[in-house]
Amino acid sequence: MKAKYLNELKDVLNDYRASQKDMQEIISDYDQLYEDALASGKTDDEVWQMLGTPREAADELIDTLQRRKEKNIKTKIITVMPFISLIVFFVLGFYKDMWHPGWLVFLSIPMTAILLQARLKDGIVALMPFLSIIVFLILGWGFNLWHVGWMVFLSIPVVAILLNTKLKDIPVAISPFVAVVAFIILGFQYNLWNPGWLVFLIIPMLGILHEKNIMKLIVYELSFALAIGFYLYMGYVEGSWEYGGIGFLLPVSMGLIFGDVKFQIGNISVEERKKAITMIGVVIIAIGLFLALGFGLSGWAWAWQVFLLIPVVAIILFDKVRLTALMPFLAVIIFFSVGYFFDMFHISWLAFLLIPITAIIENA
Amino acid sequence: MNTQFKKGILEMCILSIISKKDMYGFEVIDSLSKEIDVNENTVYPILRRLTGQGLFETYIEQTNVGAPRKYYRMTEHGKKKLYEYESEWRSFLGGVFRLLGGNINES
Repeated sequence: MKAKYLNELKDVLNDYRASQKDMQEIISDYDQLYEDALASGKTDDEVWQMLGTPREAADELIDTLQRRKEKNIKTKIITVMPFISLIVFFVLGFYKDMWHPGWLVFLSIPMTAILLQARLKDGIVALMPFLSIIVFLILGWGFNLWHVGWMVFLSIPVVAILLNTKLKDIPVAISPFVAVVAFIILGFQYNLWNPGWLVFLIIPMLGILHEKNIMKLIVYELSFALAIGFYLYMGYVEGSWEYGGIGFLLPVSMGLIFGDVKFQIGNISVEERKKAITMIGVVIIAIGLFLALGFGLSGWAWAWQVFLLIPVVAIILFDKVRLTALMPFLAVIIFFSVGYFFDMFHISWLAFLLIPITAIIENA
Repeated sequence: MNTQFKKGILEMCILSIISKKDMYGFEVIDSLSKEIDVNENTVYPILRRLTGQGLFETYIEQTNVGAPRKYYRMTEHGKKKLYEYESEWRSFLGGVFRLLGGNINES
């Protein structure tokens, strides 16, 4: 536990660009504090509470740090990327008349910065919006798969969950996204909107697997299985889906009997729960809005931008609100909207210059 | 209570206890938390900040068990600062107690 604490602290200090001297000194001091606290009889949990989480500790230390100035090869590559992208863009445009989709090279500006500066896990999460956009546009322009293609945006939250969630919580955490994909495929491909919606029941059914009381777990799962069986029987055999819905009173009754109709993943604070609910709300709104714009205005080609709301809201909720972090998404929206609606891809790429400009202004 | 105000008081308390005797990091946290309700994770950053301002100097001392420890010792500059803080604090408290209709010594 001590090694974990010190490693995490080192990572956060590294993110804050603390100098090597400061890092060595702080890590050595915290090593000593940790040892002394353990020797006084405190448990690891109590020591963590005493010292604060590594991030809290680093936040308190921030004004005592001497920041290192990075003038290495990575910084140089990031600095020249806008110019390289510009040259490639002009070459593609003037010589090959590929203004579009030549503009895609500008995505390499934020992607390079992310690849070279972020830690592996954070880098993969941050790259997902860009990779999703590229895959989506290839599917759309290349294969006219605007409609099914939008589902690649669901990979953004799924990858973030896979990389940041404990192994045992992963099935529950990604189940809403798996359910959405399955539901859409069942609906569009096989016209099985009903009873396709039943796939959403995997969310509570997987959630219940965390229940430690085996008897309760079996009763809940059985009640769901019976309700689903009854619903399908009534629908397909008796032709009465609406009466089949009565079967779902069974798991609800079980919830009332056991006194926990609400399902909870782990012990999370009220604040975290509010954030989680907001995130789920945003995902639902984004999907709803996308489908509405897609079906209502045939806007499959551009409505995908509503999915950028998901990472934007996630950054606002879970990270410090910094325009630098939000700018890649805003730049993509400005770039694509101006390019698509006004056929000005040759000018709209300028939106990507907002990314380094914002970073310079905000971090100066 | 205002966080900055609390940190200011905490700085004065840390200066005060180290003026009496050289101490190592955990000893400072332990001594403070026995007397006042303190957010323990703010103590080391304050120690580091005050050391950076030249109010403390540090030295390493071998221990019988485990790794050598870093001790904090008050400098002359630290003593002057503590005197200033204490004077300001006593004057401030005196004013507060007069307003509340009590006496500083009654507490």
